[in-house]
Amino acid sequence: MEQYSAAEKIYELFSEKALALGIPEPVLVIAAYAIPCLVVINLIQGAAGMLTYAERKISADIQNRIGANRVGPFGLIQFLADGVKLFLKEDIIPDAADRKLFKLAPYIVLSSTVLAAIVVPFGGSFIVADLNIGLIFIIVVSSLLVVGFLMSGWASNNKWALLGGIRSAAQIISYEIPTALSLLCIVLITGTFSLQETVMSQGLWPWQWFIFHNPFSFVAFFIFFVSALAEMNRTPFDFPEAESELVSGYNVEYSGMRFSIFFIAEYGSIFIISGLAAAVFLGGGNIGLDPYESPLHMQLLMVGVFFAKTVPLCLVIIWVRWSMPRLRIDQMLTMCWKYFIPIAFACLVATAIWLLVFNGNGIFWRMPAP
Amino acid sequence: MEFKKIVKTILFWEILQGMWLTLSNLPPWNAVTRQYPKEPRYSDPGFRGLHALVRNPDTGREKCIACGLCAAVCPSRCITIHTGEDDKGEKIAEEYEVDVLRCVFCAFCVEACPVGAIVLSEHYEYSGYSRGDFYFNKERLLDNWDTFFPGEKGKWYMDNIWKHPNADDYKAHDDQAVFHGIQKEEKQ
Amino acid sequence: MGKIEEYTVKRDADRTDLKLNMGPQHPATHGVLRLELDLDGEIIRKCTPHIGYLHRGTEKLGEDRTYISALPLTDRLDYIASMNNNIGYCVAVEKLFGIEAPERAKYIRTMCAELGRISSHLLWLATHALDIGAMTVFLYAFRERAMIMEMFEKLTGARLTVSYPRIGGVRNDVTQEFIDRAHAFADEFPTHMEEYETLIDQNRIWLKRTKGIGIITADEAINWGLSGPMIRGSGIAYDIRKHEPYDAYKDVEFEVPIGTEGDVYDRYRVRMIELRQSALIIKQCVEKLPRGAILDPNAPKFTLPPKERVMTDMESLIHQFVLITKGPMTAQEGEVYVATELPKGEFGYYFVSDGSGKPYRMRLRAPSFVHASVLPLMCEGGLIADVIANIGTLDIVLGECDR
Repeated sequence: MEQYSAAEKIYELFSEKALALGIPEPVLVIAAYAIPCLVVINLIQGAAGMLTYAERKISADIQNRIGANRVGPFGLIQFLADGVKLFLKEDIIPDAADRKLFKLAPYIVLSSTVLAAIVVPFGGSFIVADLNIGLIFIIVVSSLLVVGFLMSGWASNNKWALLGGIRSAAQIISYEIPTALSLLCIVLITGTFSLQETVMSQGLWPWQWFIFHNPFSFVAFFIFFVSALAEMNRTPFDFPEAESELVSGYNVEYSGMRFSIFFIAEYGSIFIISGLAAAVFLGGGNIGLDPYESPLHMQLLMVGVFFAKTVPLCLVIIWVRWSMPRLRIDQMLTMCWKYFIPIAFACLVATAIWLLVFNGNGIFWRMPAP
Repeated sequence: MEFKKIVKTILFWEILQGMWLTLSNLPPWNAVTRQYPKEPRYSDPGFRGLHALVRNPDTGREKCIACGLCAAVCPSRCITIHTGEDDKGEKIAEEYEVDVLRCVFCAFCVEACPVGAIVLSEHYEYSGYSRGDFYFNKERLLDNWDTFFPGEKGKWYMDNIWKHPNADDYKAHDDQAVFHGIQKEEKQ
Repeated sequence: MGKIEEYTVKRDADRTDLKLNMGPQHPATHGVLRLELDLDGEIIRKCTPHIGYLHRGTEKLGEDRTYISALPLTDRLDYIASMNNNIGYCVAVEKLFGIEAPERAKYIRTMCAELGRISSHLLWLATHALDIGAMTVFLYAFRERAMIMEMFEKLTGARLTVSYPRIGGVRNDVTQEFIDRAHAFADEFPTHMEEYETLIDQNRIWLKRTKGIGIITADEAINWGLSGPMIRGSGIAYDIRKHEPYDAYKDVEFEVPIGTEGDVYDRYRVRMIELRQSALIIKQCVEKLPRGAILDPNAPKFTLPPKERVMTDMESLIHQFVLITKGPMTAQEGEVYVATELPKGEFGYYFVSDGSGKPYRMRLRAPSFVHASVLPLMCEGGLIADVIANIGTLDIVLGECDR
């Protein structure tokens, strides 16, 4: 199947009119690529902002507090106030820090999140680029986080930050494996790495989702979800930050806008991982129609369906954080290497056997005719 | 029993229970906190807050006789008194200063005072931009009395709150609180 | 600790890669404790506690204050259980003077001491859970702690630094509202305890973080001079409230819980059971509360005369002046040591008196000081995360540690 690209689509739509107006073609090409990028970056920022609000409000409600309620109705635009405050703060770079790496690190962390957003299908034809290696792309770019965390930990020239950075390296690299293995279970079923195709081969109803394809994909979903929590440094796996142990971990020396970029990346990745889980395991924005051929209002409905699945997952991630203590670093690695990876492998093998035995069919899901 | 335990382990039962507990606390109306500056919190009578020098309603001046007991008993040594004489030759406090930043609010000065001339009000919201704001001289302390104990309230306070130890404390009497049981209380 | 060693490459045991200063500004060191950690990766090879950042010279200050006005100094020792400090001070001074508080005052003191113990243990639970990452327990525990704070505010006029007991009794009588509230609180408190326990008691992450960590055997506990929940967690039923009862503790029934392993989890369980026992003691005290004097009337040489008499009676006025300016002059020459059971452990007051109104020497035996010395034993060989759990389980308060 041909690779879909939003930039090409935009170029196709507007090229005739624009060329007629006398806009030179290189400008048009750059604009066609810039628009989806800007949209995605802003989407990540908006999602991160709303998630910080949700985190504050949910944690407050769980703990019998009230939470943010001063800025805007119900404190809804609190995150804007936070952003403005952080933006106006003095940007402190420690004397002994490695200035270049110190400045670079937050952008690498953020770029990892934004790059991952490129291949996530937001429903309908709203996807920046439907790469035929979409899942591999996500796994690869999410490894960029390690580089950013290590870089910030090293460049801060602070022992706590260094420990945080090294912890994050150990953690993210370990948990990459069960994440990838559990995603591979689904790849076995669909036979493609393209996320849009993965969504399209599912259906509107729950029994058509891959989570209920077979018992092993059900287990794989939970493996994916928990190891994704670890990859995002969320409780019970928030070791790189571990406020009570490492003060604030890798970002202890950061302030102002650079600090907030780390936070946008963290909450952005919550959104991206939830979106990925929704797309791969829960049918994404699929309502039983072809996303590229449907009229616009049906496409918007698909976006709605996608968000209806993603947002609850985000909220569950927040909810988990406020209900659980934190593991210890060696226990977390033990859990990964001794339990998650073997179970994920077993799921992978068992899914392969299931597909062989049942000729590619699931419990309810039927292999589409070639 | 053993089987039950294994099933519970696999299902992460105790973690689900914990998550159910946090979920059941989720409704916003469970909040127990207070929107403080909007909903001010009034302390109970007898709260040991900002100091006030009692103004004698008969003379319009402070009750203080400048005996210096409060300064003597003060564990943090935050009271300074300069004594002098008035027109009639009576001993008065020419200057009475309380350094509130040093004060530990034990209310020993109130207990020590033989004439009941100093009290602690239940006002606790005092903040300022300089150290001078927390240095209370005689005029400011008398102003506190007028502000926080207007009219009859001051007399009531002196009789009911700031009068211990009183004679009742040294003997048993019928008004003393004892436990009557829960049922009896509901009937009343 | 043996378990962690399995995963590590065998190396020179003296090797350290990193020297880390944990504290005095660190969110988990409960104030201003400073630990110097020699790290090999994340494994602690050497742990050296440094104290003294909150030293205010309380012992020396006590020599400069009369017995009456030194009381508020004790508020600031273990500032989260100031009621218990005050009571310990008063019991010690009473022993020095050879007097005893009246029965009603004893019951009130016991009740307030147990309220203070619940308040202190709740703060321990909150911060211990917060250190290990369970942030919600923190605010649930503070919710109940606020109830005790409000009760204290109604009774004493202050929320934290109460200065409530007096030599030979208590400052003011309890009201009907207070004892009803105390009884209702003690009644409903176990249901709140269940909430905390639902969140952490059986949680496998909590068990993993606390079981087998910071083990202190019974012998070690005795040799290091531990007390309170620290020694009870190691399986030794040593409780001053049982062994040398003061106030009304000989009239109330309660159990002394002990642990078996001596690890962080056992000490957690011991304190949780103690919370329940404290609620029971409060209930008994409220139910048995007799009528009577709350200040010793037979000892006018060290208790202030009633206010009415001061204002009318010359002798009382002179008495008031002498007491306050010179202190109670009736102390016998000699020395006295009284230990009371604080939430943290055995808190001892040692007075040397030369017969004047001020102590010649005031020495405080602070449990946190003793417990801080056992930190290297618990931490060495463990991970950074275990240090946090160990500090939490000590329930250390630097105010009393540094004095």
